[in-house]
Amino acid sequence: MSFREKSAWISMLSMSGIYGFYFWSVVHAGPQAGGFHFGGLLETIIALVVVQIVLTVAVAIFKPSEAKAPRDERDKLIELRAMRVAYAGLATSIALACFFGAFNPPILFNTNALLFILVTAEIMRSACQIVQYRRGA
Amino acid sequence: MGAIRNEIRRLRFEHGEMTQQELAEKIKVTRQTVNAIELGKYSPSLEAAFRISAVFGKPLESVFHYSKDS
Repeated sequence: MSFREKSAWISMLSMSGIYGFYFWSVVHAGPQAGGFHFGGLLETIIALVVVQIVLTVAVAIFKPSEAKAPRDERDKLIELRAMRVAYAGLATSIALACFFGAFNPPILFNTNALLFILVTAEIMRSACQIVQYRRGA
Repeated sequence: MGAIRNEIRRLRFEHGEMTQQELAEKIKVTRQTVNAIELGKYSPSLEAAFRISAVFGKPLESVFHYSKDS
């Protein structure tokens, strides 16, 4: 498994786990709690950055030559394809959010919905990269 | 498998059992990319194909073959 593929795994798993916990706590807190916890979101972002840095450094220590090597043409192609899929998902979800926004949902719901869409698109990007690395290209 | 087939495995063998890693370093890609090219899962760019041919000192058409059927 290449360093880039491991990075994609780290990104997908850490985002799924950490943001998953954030959205789970938002849903369980209910609308009375305000829906959008800035403090909670800040903690989530810090936790995500720390986890990703620690895991990426740990992986790089085992194969420093691979970690230092720049992306080659196949890595760039895989990244572009994954970006295209994630963008399509993002654009569709934003369009749907705009449609449902017309029904005047609470602003806090909209904020979390947009955050959820962004996180899902990012997870989709990493997942697409992993699938392509597994298939060869 | 892609439509472009290649002789990289045989050529590596003929060049003193050159490893995928050694070839990868010569053409400035990762070992995984060389493996994907060798297995026909990834078609390299024209530039990378020329670099591979240059490493083995062979013309491009001796290293890569295009098959209309696949």
